[in-house]
Amino acid sequence: MAMIPLSYSLRSLMVRKATTFATAFGIALVVFVFASVMMLGNGIKETLGASGREDTAIVMSKGAQAELGSTILQNQVGKIAQMGGVAQGENGPLAQAEMVVVITHPKVGTSGVANVTMRGMPDNWLKFRSEARIVAGREPKPGTREVVVGRAARGRFQGFDIGKSFAMVENQPFDVVGVFAAGGGSLESEVWGDLEVMRTMFDRPGLVSSVHVRLMTPGSLQAFKDGFKNDPQLREYEVERETKYYEKQANGLGQFISFLGYAIAVFFAVGAMIGAIITMYGAVATRQREIGTLRALGFSRISILLAFLFESLALSAMGGVIGVVAAMGMTTVKFSTMNFASWSEVVFRFVAKPGTFQWSILFAMAMGLVGGLLPAIRAARMSPIKAMRGSSRRRGWHPGRWLRWLRRPPRCSW
Amino acid sequence: MNLPLLAARNVLRNKVRTGLTVLGVAVALLAFMTLRTVLSAWTQAEEFSQKDRMAVRSKISWVVLLPKKYVQEVKDMAGVQAVTWANWFGGRDPKHKQEFFANLAVDPESALQVYDEFIVSAEQKQAWVGDRQGAIVGDVLARKMGWKLGSKVTLTGGVYPFDMEFNISAIYTATRRGADRNQFMFHWAYLNEKLSSERQNRVGWLIVRTKPGVVSAEMSKRIDDHFKSSGMPTLSQSELELNRSFLAAFTAILTAINVVSIVILAIMALILGNTIAMGVRERTGEYGVLRAIGFLPRHVLAFIVGESLVVGIMGGGLALLLGYPLINMGMGRWLEENMGGLFPVFGITTATATAAMVLAVVLAAIAAAWPAWRASQLKVVDALRRVG
Amino acid sequence: MSDAQAEGKAADEAAKNPPPYRTQPESPAIVSLVGVGKTFFRGKEPVKVLDGLDLDVPEGSFEALMGPSGSGKSTLLNLIAGLDRPTRGKITVAGTDLTNASDRTLAKWRSQNIGFIFQAYNLMPVLTALQNVELPLLLTSLGGAERKKRAQTALRVVGLEDRMHHYPRQLSGGQEQRVAIARAIVNDPKIIVADEPTGDLDRQSADDILTLLEKLNKELKKTIFMVTHDPAASERASVQRRLDKGRLK
Repeated sequence: MAMIPLSYSLRSLMVRKATTFATAFGIALVVFVFASVMMLGNGIKETLGASGREDTAIVMSKGAQAELGSTILQNQVGKIAQMGGVAQGENGPLAQAEMVVVITHPKVGTSGVANVTMRGMPDNWLKFRSEARIVAGREPKPGTREVVVGRAARGRFQGFDIGKSFAMVENQPFDVVGVFAAGGGSLESEVWGDLEVMRTMFDRPGLVSSVHVRLMTPGSLQAFKDGFKNDPQLREYEVERETKYYEKQANGLGQFISFLGYAIAVFFAVGAMIGAIITMYGAVATRQREIGTLRALGFSRISILLAFLFESLALSAMGGVIGVVAAMGMTTVKFSTMNFASWSEVVFRFVAKPGTFQWSILFAMAMGLVGGLLPAIRAARMSPIKAMRGSSRRRGWHPGRWLRWLRRPPRCSW
Repeated sequence: MNLPLLAARNVLRNKVRTGLTVLGVAVALLAFMTLRTVLSAWTQAEEFSQKDRMAVRSKISWVVLLPKKYVQEVKDMAGVQAVTWANWFGGRDPKHKQEFFANLAVDPESALQVYDEFIVSAEQKQAWVGDRQGAIVGDVLARKMGWKLGSKVTLTGGVYPFDMEFNISAIYTATRRGADRNQFMFHWAYLNEKLSSERQNRVGWLIVRTKPGVVSAEMSKRIDDHFKSSGMPTLSQSELELNRSFLAAFTAILTAINVVSIVILAIMALILGNTIAMGVRERTGEYGVLRAIGFLPRHVLAFIVGESLVVGIMGGGLALLLGYPLINMGMGRWLEENMGGLFPVFGITTATATAAMVLAVVLAAIAAAWPAWRASQLKVVDALRRVG
Repeated sequence: MSDAQAEGKAADEAAKNPPPYRTQPESPAIVSLVGVGKTFFRGKEPVKVLDGLDLDVPEGSFEALMGPSGSGKSTLLNLIAGLDRPTRGKITVAGTDLTNASDRTLAKWRSQNIGFIFQAYNLMPVLTALQNVELPLLLTSLGGAERKKRAQTALRVVGLEDRMHHYPRQLSGGQEQRVAIARAIVNDPKIIVADEPTGDLDRQSADDILTLLEKLNKELKKTIFMVTHDPAASERASVQRRLDKGRLK
């Protein structure tokens, strides 16, 4: 079967520059949004879901959805640490009770306030939280109001930098002495300090929010869980693997943003597809005589169909590439919003993964395929005689004009 | 016969293309209206804030509780009409673990006094007030969870790590749209008695209703000053401020929606401009004839822009036609009932509808400007050469 | 070549021995070109289409202009019709000096003095015959009823009164061209310029159109300036001119 050279389709696109670019730009905008949503989704998963360890379990009160809404009596902590499946360190079982509260704190650069998670931890927390490390300044001294701020929170809130301080109540300031990193997760948007000091400050006598325990092996979770069933005092508590807990934390916001994003992308895609259909119908209509000539020369319907489909695909792929390049620029943007689960602000980045851009371009090409199909079918169905006659009657002035097409590279046929 | 008629007829000339363009414009405007409605509904929470209500919480954090005696102290202050209080129980129904709803321990009598937008029949109210284990729930929540009057419900606590059992003794509706009909409220005293002595007699926050004519900013300052040196300072905020600071937490999302709603308009303009440009290109010869007959460039310009306006207005009209049932009745009703706290009133506002229509017209004019300008500036001789 | 020679001969004869009933040599020239030149630029290269051309067209004459492709026929027609301006020389048509007139002035002037007939008819496909004819009247201050009346009159002149509510696609080529002629005369212009008016038509329709043009010339005293390839069409004119390489012969 004789195929129409691909360069015919490409050159036809270049002839109608303005229309081509308008349509491609429309597709580019859609792809930009689509890729950005995917990247933000990746970022949320990475930030919220990446935290936590396989071999660590988190104990919270049963009704709680997150550490913030959880309460555990301090006098149960020892018992929890003694249970089966918990790994042993030099100084006894590896378990750490933590207290999580949220403060509303003014942001830098805007007049607004946002919620910040503060986490109170016992002495030697750096040993247990081995994923965390101090990247600037120093560790806070136990038993003082010294705190360290997460890398992502640093500089975003008033007083969140080394040497500065912030206070909820006058005369009781927290002094920032260092900045910590914790594997890029949501923990990096928190402020960490001394458990006892914070318990007093936040008026939580005898209470903690959660207990994190290191399991002997990741498989020891069941053994650890079983211990809770048998103790009536501990039945009010619930155990979950840390990684799973953080995954769930990511779900709410991730789903919300993905839903919003993809709903918008679908709306956009419909719009861009309509744009592509219009453009391709226009291309078919203005090139009736070209098509007729091709048919007369002996090209089959199928090769005409393919030529127009290819033109549409090339158009959308071009848009896709532009959109993806623009979306790459988003990797430098930071996006901060409140996470429903922890009621506190988390900073996200737009994260590109290997699949992101491929999928975006495939999405663009799918739009091109759908948008180009109907017009291509119309082109293929055109009868050679009718197509050649086209609207030539209205193009009098130069009767043989369409014949030029045979002698020259395709020109604008109007 | 006149020129507008000619423009209108030209619009109908390529029915498929015009139809697709109108559809494209309508889809874009529909998306625009949806996004704008999300924004306005979200920010509208502000408008539904009661001006005479304020919340008092610990200055340290809203997770820190206040002593119960603060209730009486505030009640005794000048300018205060009524005070009630609440604790966040943060529990879940083990049968519906995924459903999140607000469950609060409140003081029945004063709560209904302060939240006067909740409607409950006198006998149900009496039943609730009289039953220590009684709970009152919003009608939307009751329907969602399948609760009826007399149902027994157990909630597993989060903030308070124990189970509590309740009887559904009253179901409330609301006098106005925008009130949260997804709440679960029970006797504060019932919660308080289950606590150990050191956790007893603490309240999460106070809700104060001020007397008419009291400026809320002054009132909140008076309350905060009163507790300043008590060891447990307070922070008082009007409902409006509270809602605003809540919104501020989502600034980034709101900004993103804003940006996206503008991007979609750009796409719309592209689609429309493309269609107009194609039509103009095909009809250049006709414009040449018009010019030869003696029409002026501005006639040609007006003519093409007019064509675009017709398409824009048709698209806008279609968008409104589709938008009202889709957004107000479909999406809106669902969101109002299920996310009433976030979207008290989810519907196209007059401002949104007007903006959509005006933007359709303005963008149609802008989209047509370039092709129209070029066509009008074409030399007659050149335009005529392109007959066909 | 023999065809062209024959044409040339016919034109010469017509010029030498004009039929008395067709022209009025004593009437003043309605179209007057003195030393007119027109240069186009193809890229940076100047192309002289017309050079030092003198032409007088007396009022009430029916002239045909022949010439090979690219001889500048259409350019000359465009100049006379006020669609374009000369590079050199002076053009006066219907008492107006077009040489340096502004676009705006030209547009107004065309609407009052020139009727156009095109090869491809160039009717608006979305308008009925009547509406097409009415189109030029939109530029006047006439009211709707009056415009309609005049358009109907014009259609009656071309014999298409019964087709006035048809759209162009419902008409034959000859009928379309007659509608176009009605459109050309509806504003009562002094001059009608026709560019290959029979180029797209079969012989019979072409003859009808030429008869109609003759009628307009004789009965309505319109000056007609027609560019054509068709020797038969040229025959029907009272004066035949030939343009070759930018010069009139």
